[in-house]
Amino acid sequence: MADRRVPSGKAGPEAGEALHLGGPPPPSRAQQVREILGKLGQLAGVRGGLIVTPDGFVITADLPPPISAEELAALGATLGRELELGMDRLARGTFRTAFFSTDGGAIFLGGSPIGFVILLGDAGAEPAAVSPALQEAVARLEGFWKVQ
Amino acid sequence: MGLGALLERVLSSFLTARFPSAAELFRRADRLRHEGRYREAIRLVDEGLRRTPDSATGHLLAGYLHLAVREVQPAREAFQNALTVDPNHPRALLGLARIAIEGGDPDAGRSALERALLYHPDFPEARVLEKMLAVRGAVQSNLAGAPTRPVRPGGIRLAREGRDPILARLDGSVVFAQCDEDQKPVLAQHVTQVVRIASATLARAGLGALRRGIIEGAQASTYLQTDVGLVLALTLPSGTSIADGWSALGRLWADKAKAATESGG
Repeated sequence: MADRRVPSGKAGPEAGEALHLGGPPPPSRAQQVREILGKLGQLAGVRGGLIVTPDGFVITADLPPPISAEELAALGATLGRELELGMDRLARGTFRTAFFSTDGGAIFLGGSPIGFVILLGDAGAEPAAVSPALQEAVARLEGFWKVQ
Repeated sequence: MGLGALLERVLSSFLTARFPSAAELFRRADRLRHEGRYREAIRLVDEGLRRTPDSATGHLLAGYLHLAVREVQPAREAFQNALTVDPNHPRALLGLARIAIEGGDPDAGRSALERALLYHPDFPEARVLEKMLAVRGAVQSNLAGAPTRPVRPGGIRLAREGRDPILARLDGSVVFAQCDEDQKPVLAQHVTQVVRIASATLARAGLGALRRGIIEGAQASTYLQTDVGLVLALTLPSGTSIADGWSALGRLWADKAKAATESGG
């Protein structure tokens, strides 16, 4: 299987770089990120979620099994980038959030310079309640991420 | 520990701190990346690559970081450099595939993904994107040559303040649109691409088929609805209540269906 971040094959070892490019963030910040996601997970109808960088790297995830964080991150980041680029091409201002529903559930996506917050909801997840909370979470994420 | 060994250790620590190796620079850059300090990380990676220009890991990390700050061309070059070192590097191929997809070139994206999967068949991120593109291809095959029933613009009543309504097929062809002529293909491509990726994401999450969506921007929100291979979208000012948005879209959908029936009859 292709490793999450360590290049496969000979490239890594030959360069003498035992680099784990998918390692966890420093504990305090990782904890803050988990708390943000955990709080969103308490909203009515929200079943879990993840935070990903624009290139699809999973910063943190809390998803119900058997959903794969890596797969959802790959698609979620692709979706997030399309939303960002589309808003730009169509001159509709900065992308903020999106909501996509089915008969049985929904996904919510919030955009930020850091990356994307993606939430999974069941049929009871109301965009009127989840979207503002998602925007607030994105703002909080950006706020403490900027602190150097 | 003897004095010589102690001195050697101190000197080594000093030199590492003052003159870190490329591998150390990449490690530091990766830590910064986890903290969202992408620009600082890029500077360290650049420094590391000056020391070891043939590091696939360095080029790969550079690609990730440039993507993180939305710099597509430097990211593309970084992934291509990684492939120069390791021609079948799956992560570099995935990076190029992402860039191709977001640049509206699914064929190039598919080609890069297929190459990555050839050598690493169990590569979930590449596999799931390849599946998404395969669905896109299937949609185009199914719709190719299918008759498009025209919809007369006069049959559509727009909600007050509503703009840029569009009805498109999932292959990106426009059935009906009211917007600047040069914006039609851009709008159609965006709306259908969003529907395709969102559908794949919902399916992967086990949630079923996409029905409706809202894309909120700083200045406007787009409401969309999809059914039977078609997507209808309407843009409303930011701040429109969700109930009003759904209501406007619902009326448009009903009008669209009526207009299509009239046109076909």
